[in-house]
Amino acid sequence: MPNSEHLVSSFDRDLEGIQAMIMRMGGLVEEAIASSALALESRDLELARTVRAGDKAIDKLEETVNEEAARILVLRQPSASDLRTVLTVFRVSANLERIGDYAKNISKRSEAIIDHPPINGATSSIRRMARQVELMLKDVLDAYIQRDMDLALDVRARDVEVDQMYSALFREYLTFMMEDPRNITPCMHLHFMAKNIERMGDHVTSISEQVVYLVSGELPDDDREKEDRTPYDPGLEG
Amino acid sequence: MNDMRVVERDVTGDDIKMRARQVQVYYGDNHAIKNVDVDIEDKTVTAFIGQSGCGKSTFLRCLNRMNDTIDVARTEGDIRLDGEDIYDPKVDPVQLRAKVGMVFQKPNPFPKSIYDNVAYGPRIHGLAQSKAELDEIVEKSLRRAALWNEAKDRLAEPGTGLSGGQQQRLCIARAVATSPEVLLMDEPCSALDPIATAQVEELIDELRTNYSVVIVTHSMQQAARVSQKTAFFHLGELVEFGETGKIFTNPDDPRTESYITGRIG
Repeated sequence: MPNSEHLVSSFDRDLEGIQAMIMRMGGLVEEAIASSALALESRDLELARTVRAGDKAIDKLEETVNEEAARILVLRQPSASDLRTVLTVFRVSANLERIGDYAKNISKRSEAIIDHPPINGATSSIRRMARQVELMLKDVLDAYIQRDMDLALDVRARDVEVDQMYSALFREYLTFMMEDPRNITPCMHLHFMAKNIERMGDHVTSISEQVVYLVSGELPDDDREKEDRTPYDPGLEG
Repeated sequence: MNDMRVVERDVTGDDIKMRARQVQVYYGDNHAIKNVDVDIEDKTVTAFIGQSGCGKSTFLRCLNRMNDTIDVARTEGDIRLDGEDIYDPKVDPVQLRAKVGMVFQKPNPFPKSIYDNVAYGPRIHGLAQSKAELDEIVEKSLRRAALWNEAKDRLAEPGTGLSGGQQQRLCIARAVATSPEVLLMDEPCSALDPIATAQVEELIDELRTNYSVVIVTHSMQQAARVSQKTAFFHLGELVEFGETGKIFTNPDDPRTESYITGRIG
């Protein structure tokens, strides 16, 4: 990718502008992930509500990013790496917006189970899993802004760990529910939270693929190993 | 990347209409074209892009020996049309130009009637045996250039009385009247307004069902819109030649990238 600037310098400012908005969105989403997990673990109703309310700002940013990117398409008619920059902005902002929605959903479920007695260790595993995805998101945003394809591919490979964590939690919650039917309601919620985080990981993976496309012009094609075996092996034996 | 427009017509890279190898052009001491190899495919629009003075027009003019008319210009290398060397001493450049037609930047109709503008080529090449046959060629050519409806009631009026866009389509009609196999276009839309430009672009797209079209353009958007193959020239060299979609989304050479994205090269 050429590092030199455009002859029309306002074009550079436009492209930097939409990418800066992506980074701002990314920052808000990272915070939403961390806060939603913390609110769950510390049973902090106020924090959970803050996360839910904060999702509006993320949605609004996505809208603005898309409007600006569309404006660049029509006014500048970008090509080559400039075109890829604009195209990836559309995709990445959609991924970030979805991750924000999942964080909001986790907070909603935290509020729902706040009156249930805590289940041993369940919320701290959710938080570890959320922490893993948050770090992946941070790295993929670094890879995005630095055009670092190796880092993006590394993040993509790390999604396997998230899938493994999800499978482990799936079995764990099944066990809790079999032990005591009173655990069913909170464990159903906890399971959806774990699933939400697993889906966040998939969106982060999608962003890393966009980084690869941005840098190389081609999407990575080899299929990743899928570690979520729960559809085939529900693990009822524990 | 597969260009739908190419896929739908099932054109393969094997259908080479013109093949240029190691072409050099000198204007006196100035080495204007250096080692250019290019294959012009049949029934395909090929665009030449690059900065002013990069040699794209000079190279275009090699393809029908228009450079012969410039005293100081010297062309070396091998250019073949359907496998035949067009620089062979036996080849008559006038006959060659009937097969490889040309449309210029500024519409340049002859100071004659619309009819005579189109009939000129067929007359000098003896393509029509009768008035009726000539009428037919004129009508077919004007239809092909999408000018028939506007011109059919005023065929006797001077071509210079038409609007700029109509004049350019008249020049295209004149160029296709000799049933060329390749049509060279040097900035055909630079003097036209956006509507006339769109009409000429639509025409280029229709022409490629019958001809190979090679177009030199300064408008990158136009190259992207009308062509299936794009060649980027820089300082007399052919830097990159490939499928248009690939060139405009992910070019291989950093010089191509700099040029098409509007960066300082």
